[in-house]
Amino acid sequence: MTAAAVRVRILQGVLLLLLLIVAVRVTGMQWLAPVIPPEYGDGLAPRTLQVEPSRGLIVDRDGEVLARNVPEFRVLLVPGDLPDDVEERRSALLALERASGISFAELESAAATELAIVDPYAPVLVEDGLDPEEAIQLRARLSGLPGLRVEASPSRLYADEPSLAHILGYVGKLPADEAEMLTDLGYPLDGQVGLGGVEAIYEDDLRGSPGRRLVLSDPQGREVELLATDSAQPGADAVLSIDLDLQRATAEALARGMDAGMAVVRTNTGQQRPAAIPLGAALVMDVRTGELLASVSLPSYDPNLFVSGEDEEIAAVFADKANPLIDRTYMAQRSPGSIFKPLVALATLEEGTATEHTVIYSRGAITIQDQYNPGVVYVFRDWMAHGNVDMRRALARSSDEYFYYMVGGYEDFEGMGPDALAEWARAAGLGSKTGIDRPGEIPGLVPDSEWKEAEFGEPWLLGDSYPYAIGQGYLTVTPLQMAVLTSAIANGGDLLQPRVVHGFRSGGIVKALPSQTTGRLEASPTNYQIVREGMRDAAAASGTAYTGVPEGVTIGGKTGTAEFGQPYPDGEFDTHGWYIGFAPYDDPEVAVVVYLEYGVGSTHAGPVAKEILEAYFAQQTAGDRVESRP
Amino acid sequence: MTIVMAVARRAVPDPALVLAVLGLVAVGLVMIRAATMPDPRGLSSDTVRQILYGVVGAVGLFGASRLHVGVLRRLAPLIYLGSVASLILVLALGAEEFGARRWIALGPITVQPSEFAKIATVIAVAAYAAEREPSVKFTLVTLGLALLPMALVLVEPDLGTTLVLGAAWVALVVTWGVSGRVLGGMAALGVSMLPIAFAGVPDYQRERINVFLHPDRDPLGSGFTIRQVEIALGSGGVSGQGIDGAPSALDGVATRASDFAFAQLAEQMGLIGALVVLLLFALVAWRGLEAALHSPDRFGRMLAGGLTATIVLQALMHMAVNTRLFPATGIPLPFVSTGGSALVGMCISAGLILAVASHRPTQIHDLWRER
Repeated sequence: MTAAAVRVRILQGVLLLLLLIVAVRVTGMQWLAPVIPPEYGDGLAPRTLQVEPSRGLIVDRDGEVLARNVPEFRVLLVPGDLPDDVEERRSALLALERASGISFAELESAAATELAIVDPYAPVLVEDGLDPEEAIQLRARLSGLPGLRVEASPSRLYADEPSLAHILGYVGKLPADEAEMLTDLGYPLDGQVGLGGVEAIYEDDLRGSPGRRLVLSDPQGREVELLATDSAQPGADAVLSIDLDLQRATAEALARGMDAGMAVVRTNTGQQRPAAIPLGAALVMDVRTGELLASVSLPSYDPNLFVSGEDEEIAAVFADKANPLIDRTYMAQRSPGSIFKPLVALATLEEGTATEHTVIYSRGAITIQDQYNPGVVYVFRDWMAHGNVDMRRALARSSDEYFYYMVGGYEDFEGMGPDALAEWARAAGLGSKTGIDRPGEIPGLVPDSEWKEAEFGEPWLLGDSYPYAIGQGYLTVTPLQMAVLTSAIANGGDLLQPRVVHGFRSGGIVKALPSQTTGRLEASPTNYQIVREGMRDAAAASGTAYTGVPEGVTIGGKTGTAEFGQPYPDGEFDTHGWYIGFAPYDDPEVAVVVYLEYGVGSTHAGPVAKEILEAYFAQQTAGDRVESRP
Repeated sequence: MTIVMAVARRAVPDPALVLAVLGLVAVGLVMIRAATMPDPRGLSSDTVRQILYGVVGAVGLFGASRLHVGVLRRLAPLIYLGSVASLILVLALGAEEFGARRWIALGPITVQPSEFAKIATVIAVAAYAAEREPSVKFTLVTLGLALLPMALVLVEPDLGTTLVLGAAWVALVVTWGVSGRVLGGMAALGVSMLPIAFAGVPDYQRERINVFLHPDRDPLGSGFTIRQVEIALGSGGVSGQGIDGAPSALDGVATRASDFAFAQLAEQMGLIGALVVLLLFALVAWRGLEAALHSPDRFGRMLAGGLTATIVLQALMHMAVNTRLFPATGIPLPFVSTGGSALVGMCISAGLILAVASHRPTQIHDLWRER
């Protein structure tokens, strides 16, 4: 044999030897020493079962639990456990009826579903929502009776605070149109998924990752022996940025403000008017991070409504004209009124339309003639004659006339025009979503001449510019957008992406989500300072926004009162009441926004803001005391 | 009669080798059908696809067996460079799946270039070595020829194919006749490099090695699959759970019909099925190396030897993983596992072995030396 042939023979020998080693090994694993002893006999088969992880809790920023896991007890029928013989089956079902109190007809139909023919050992739900006590008693009564079993499945219990309902969302059965996609992702068909609010948006974090169990099961699908487990990773706890105490204080203050604000609604006018329904929203946002410390929309509903509510209660919420399912902080858009003025002031300074020293004499109204018909004169009123006003005083006194000049111009004074203002409004994030971590946000509307042409086929008129200057007309915003804008004024231009979730907690360690911005409202620091000073002056004793100032803190504030709806016989309107503010003035921590469907900014919305800020600062000083304790 | 035999012999130079391949493909189809059965009567889409690839593979096998190996020898540099280019291409614009870039999409089908890189590397090393005596220098050159595709495949990442390529190179230089001293020196050097290599091992692979060494310590559940494999083998017993789609211990393992094909078929067909598969691979090893042995020149010998060793060593690694003799690494079982590129590539390899078995000398102009 040549040397080369020897090499090939060696290779051949090595390969065959290695194959022999594997053969010996396989013989051992399959025949001589298998991990499953052969005496298990026929019929037993391994099955891999999924183990659902326990869902993460939802807690407030101080760790107070807002959504917890509780067992929900339900009754399941296993058709395959019932006798096959018709007569025997009948008597077995009758016995179950006696023991459980569930009607024979119901049991019989559950036992005869299509699924029962394909897989008789798949459990069929016959009743859920049992009390723990009921469940224990029923389980005792059912012992020895095959066919029915009582099972605890995980469910959610939410904190009894209606103002949290929108934020938390709820969990429920897989929605029919998403069931296939979700089961592909490993959700069991009878499992639960977050539907709305934090539960839906942060579903992946809250859910965790499922584990597996490899079991040996008998032909009936019953587990005989556990062979291996791959433990489930529990979901992380969502730590909200919301402070439960501040949230409660905000909700209470807002409810009082909504009540008080109903004073603007006049009755006995002899008119057919739609019923006035009190609605409102209030927000507290950290101007440094975009986190919402409180976010309230009223009216609200019971957070447990969709988990454990009766069908009639759910129907009542859906039928409610006040539409409690809508979160008005970010799912409803309204005219902002004068709370828009700080942005107009900033735009004016940046566009060079006026300086901080530009003085306009406010006579109480301006008049313009109709373009086509000089006989017709339109009057644009100020809410009072302010006399000489400069930029800061215009903000402090909320002079409408001043801002009419700035946007529409008047006589010799040239305004910046609607399109320049629209650009600033868009740069400030109005007309687009803030990107909050909540479902169903709406963008509001920033009008300009092009928009009007496209929408109505009409050119933009001077008569459109004047209302625009004072936040009325076509312009609409959400309270959340105003919170972002107010924060940007306070922090010098960062448009923060608002959030209700601060971070996630697992194994006792909280991992904060990073703060994010959606952009910057670029303007010079000097001009920001002028606007902030105007808002500080508004919140001074002589200003219009003084009603929102908490005891002992200087803030920047602005009120807004926007007319809407059908005019009364005397030409007056119902009004939305608004308040925006940031505090403390020198080193801003929070922005506050109050919106009342019915109300006047200074009279009704201001006091709500004051209460909220007082609650915030009371907590801060209490917190400081705790921290400074030795 | 002798004329008929001669014609048959010309068409099928080694019927035993062809039968072994056909047997393995058939076992694979039965296994895939049972593992992916949608209902007792139908054929799953995986099965249909595997049948189609089997047909393509058969064409590839018989086509390759008709080749004059001299052509391959002449084209070796081109084949090698083309293969390396395809490996670079897959990294640049390959489709990512399960966190790896291994596939290039060509319309409705995806191609896995690393499956063909195995053949190209064997051809290149064999063609280079055929004209040279196995000195240290030339051996190092062949090592370089093997290391380039190995590195490209490793970053995909596909550790399994990298190891197969490495094993193929060892088999090639052994066939070449590299002295024991040189081989020993290189092995010692390789072992001394291991700690450095281990530093570059990705975390998921390190985790698998850890789980292999300490099955009880199982933070990520990677030991669960190992346990499933053990139970699959055990529950298969001697006669198997049957091929009618009975519940399997490997249910829920995504790669049960590829990386765990051996365990899957051993569960279905029992020890008997597993031993038949081992026997068929033994047949491949025997017949393939007989072809190498009787080749009239060195290129044919190294080609047949290298390809046979590639097939059988890959099978051995797969079965070693499936019997817990080796840490979990995704290596498909040749001819048996799902996967079009793998099946077609393996069939072409078998066809080339047959081409060598048909005893045609490969003397041609030596491109390597002329350049």
